[in-house]
Amino acid sequence: MRIKLNSIFVEDQDRALQFYTEVLGFRKSKDVPVGEYKWLTVVSPDGPPDVELVLEPNSNPAAKAFQESIFEQGIPLTAFEVDDIHAEVRRLKGRGVMFTMEPTQTGPVIIAILADTCGNLIQLYQPQPEAPSPA
Amino acid sequence: MLHKDMLVRLCQARGMMREIGERDPSVLEVATQLGMSQYHFIRLFRAVFGETPKQCQVRARMEKAKQLLMLTEASVTDICMEVGFSSLGTFSTVFARRVGVAPSSFRESARVMVRVPGHVPKELIPGCFSLMCGQGG
Repeated sequence: MRIKLNSIFVEDQDRALQFYTEVLGFRKSKDVPVGEYKWLTVVSPDGPPDVELVLEPNSNPAAKAFQESIFEQGIPLTAFEVDDIHAEVRRLKGRGVMFTMEPTQTGPVIIAILADTCGNLIQLYQPQPEAPSPA
Repeated sequence: MLHKDMLVRLCQARGMMREIGERDPSVLEVATQLGMSQYHFIRLFRAVFGETPKQCQVRARMEKAKQLLMLTEASVTDICMEVGFSSLGTFSTVFARRVGVAPSSFRESARVMVRVPGHVPKELIPGCFSLMCGQGG
């Protein structure tokens, strides 16, 4: 059993594709028409090519209610790892992305939180290198 | 940076823009309730939600229209009025642009998957069933 798919709800699949590719830098993987919607996935050019993020429509009332509730509470829906969070936040702010949290040290990671324009807050995190063990 | 209280207020504003009633709130009214200029409100709303307040309002109207087309027998004209459009032509144009098909076409294809209250049209009842149910040919 393998984890190959992760899914997030989005308000608008076309807008989500634009944001997740042109702004965040992911690459479209699958785009298959399914009735009114599509099976739409993206992958990271920096990660395994077969680990996909599904951009799923939030048309189900339960999905919409869940998404909007956690959004309003300021809770990120998911998190993406970055190598240099300060540089990434600067880059994304230059693209007009709104942040609800600036880069903040939180235990072993630095985190920041942004709005993805599709109804979600997304967390970015940069793991800190582990301290060398004493000799 | 977007602070928590502003996030909550923007969510409330989004809720207001989605309201469909006899008198829908204007962008200016909602901005005023938030205590900001219309320009600032539109800019911030778009940065967070990816669409302007007006676009959000139109989206909500189209979603309501889709529901009514699927689940009721109301005419397209009545639905147009119900969701806040005064012109059937404008409604149909906006609907087709947003959804991809005309309202009537959407209703036809959506109805296949939805049970509509009321009876099954005679045209869809096989002849033998019609006789059995006393409805004639």
